[in-house]
Amino acid sequence: MEPKNRSKIQIKKYSFYYGDFEALRNINIDIPENQVTAIIGPSGCGKSTFLRSINRMNELIPDVHTKGELFMEDMSLFDMDVVNLRKRVGMVFQRPNPFPKTIYDNVAYGPRAHGIRDRGILDEIVEQSLRSAVLWNEVKDHLQKSGLALSGGQQQRLCIARALAVEPEVILMDEPASALDPIATLRIEELIRELAVNYTIVIVTHNMHQAGRVSDHTAFFSMHKDRAGYLVEFGPTRQIFTRPEKQLTEDYVTGRFG
Amino acid sequence: MKRTTLDRNIKTLLDELLVLESMVKEATFKAVDALIQRDMDASRFMYIQDRQINKRRFDLELDCLITIATQQPIAGDLRMLASILEIAGELERMGDYAKGIARVNMMLKEKPLPKASKDLPQMASVTIHMLEQSIQAFLNKDAVSAREIPKQDDEVDRLFNQIYFNLVQEMIAEPGTIDASNHLQWAAHNLERMADRVTNICERTIFAAEGKIIELDSSDDQWDQSG
Repeated sequence: MEPKNRSKIQIKKYSFYYGDFEALRNINIDIPENQVTAIIGPSGCGKSTFLRSINRMNELIPDVHTKGELFMEDMSLFDMDVVNLRKRVGMVFQRPNPFPKTIYDNVAYGPRAHGIRDRGILDEIVEQSLRSAVLWNEVKDHLQKSGLALSGGQQQRLCIARALAVEPEVILMDEPASALDPIATLRIEELIRELAVNYTIVIVTHNMHQAGRVSDHTAFFSMHKDRAGYLVEFGPTRQIFTRPEKQLTEDYVTGRFG
Repeated sequence: MKRTTLDRNIKTLLDELLVLESMVKEATFKAVDALIQRDMDASRFMYIQDRQINKRRFDLELDCLITIATQQPIAGDLRMLASILEIAGELERMGDYAKGIARVNMMLKEKPLPKASKDLPQMASVTIHMLEQSIQAFLNKDAVSAREIPKQDDEVDRLFNQIYFNLVQEMIAEPGTIDASNHLQWAAHNLERMADRVTNICERTIFAAEGKIIELDSSDDQWDQSG
């Protein structure tokens, strides 16, 4: 029952600083390919900082620096062209953020930005991406309607379709369901499981139960006394949720933390 | 709304439960057969084979706990998983009874088998049939059948009493058979206990289906004055 997949992203001795403040200290993780890896931990432990490191989004913030290495399939992320990196590593955010454009144009945005102009090809990409995001049947007759006219859950699936349209290999998700109602949340979770067949997914969630439901592997982060985030334990979710190795993990997953 | 992972996990667990049930059935059949045939090698093999049943049960238990921990089952799903845990335990104990029957053969050594043993295969057959029906009822969440199946325990008890009576007759007629008769009595007792555990499985089926924990009467409660 334990799937053995090769690692897609390797994080080695990675530390991250906002100015003098060390937000992440000495993180080592191999993220398995075509699986869901969940990052859990208390607020402020660096989960989102860690996630944004994987597509180098943190570089947009002034006065940050890093130590250590991040690799995707043995190539350093820091040696990669950032546009190419973000094509290969897509991202979905906490609040659904469709562009104020039609459903069609939202999904076609990325492919167009990468130079695709052929209407037939774009049509195909839009349909395929919406199908993969399990939204096609709900919107196929309204592709020219504004993306903002959709419900919250549909908007989030539209954002996932938009991320899929540039054919990424990795999808980062930062609390993708926290702004959604329980039914829309379960629907997103179902979708995440389906996507894991073809994509490597890293999801940050403050909802520990969600991590249990959707992920194959779980990384538990916590904070040192000086508030630097660190990795406490990383392992198969089935193990983290039934017999974690560290007492701190046990305390967190059983709700006895802090 | 689907719960793909949870539904798939429950289905896998039910498949595992079915495998465990067939292992117990086979162990019981073969243990009784080896005893009747006085086949020491087969009994020794079945005795050791019980470890496989125990391992299966522990694996199933762990998978069940993992599903509960990661998928947060509620209501019917939770009752189903709790029942799977219980039934896996019942099956494992039934495997122990089969192992006990294998042991009886080994303990009898060169002693001839008491004649009363002729009813053992029939007793095993009824018990195994009850087990099959009870697991099927559980898979179908069939509370109606679950209430009916334990009634067949009367036949198991009748056969048990018949074996007991015949063994006593043999012991009176031929005191040299006392040792062997005692051992055989033990084998019959194990089958009788297995049938009682089928009743427990049926109780779990009713719990899974209806959410009610009820005690199904087994036939030996002529001694139960409370109710």
